[in-house]
Amino acid sequence: MTENAPTPDHGASAERTRLAWRRTGLSATAVGLLAVRPAFRPGAGPVTWLLAAAAMASWVLLVALAYHRVRGLASLPPEPGRRIVPVYALTTAVFALLGGLVALL
Amino acid sequence: MTKYAASGTAFLTSTVDNRPVFRALTQWFDPEKQPTVGRTPDYRFSLANERTFLAWIRTGLALIAGGMACAQFLPSLSIHHLREIIAIGLLVLGGMVALRAVDHWSRTERAMRLGQELPPSKFPAILALAVGAGAALLVIAVLLRAFQ
Repeated sequence: MTENAPTPDHGASAERTRLAWRRTGLSATAVGLLAVRPAFRPGAGPVTWLLAAAAMASWVLLVALAYHRVRGLASLPPEPGRRIVPVYALTTAVFALLGGLVALL
Repeated sequence: MTKYAASGTAFLTSTVDNRPVFRALTQWFDPEKQPTVGRTPDYRFSLANERTFLAWIRTGLALIAGGMACAQFLPSLSIHHLREIIAIGLLVLGGMVALRAVDHWSRTERAMRLGQELPPSKFPAILALAVGAGAALLVIAVLLRAFQ
């Protein structure tokens, strides 16, 4: 094999990674719905609305990151993940923070 | 080259190397831009590392969902603020899992580039013990209620 020829992807690792991103996105959707729910309760104030809006924004960010990453996986060899990975993890931590605020209110 | 290290001596990041926090953060965002970048590993290994990261993120998301569900659906418990304590505990655990996931991902990426052994971790054992202890406490609580 020459130096520059990409290794063939017989193990479908790119596809499995793509599906892993999808699964993670679905989990994030469940968390996002739980985070938004308090805003639709009767008697919810502007603070709750703001928290729900922040949760929606982080969910949109997670979906956009996953979409971007899946596009990067389409080429051979796939592009490395790099920055998407830490941003995704930090956004997940933001979800935890929002959930904590919802719990305390 | 990339043998799995069986003997774990490191807890989180502490004993593998004593980089300052700032450098650890830089490494999160660019594991390839470190002083000794080594060689680009086989992309299949990198993708496997990424899938492991995503599996940990899902674990964290599940803990976060559990914490949010506790906060929203549990009725007020007999012990004052117990519901909030359970919820916050689960949320903190979920956030920790997410941050640990990216730290482990970047250290694994670096180890693969340098052809070193993959970083060992005690975190799975600690998480298992924490989840097991939480489940045991809930079993005791349910039994106490049933026999009151």
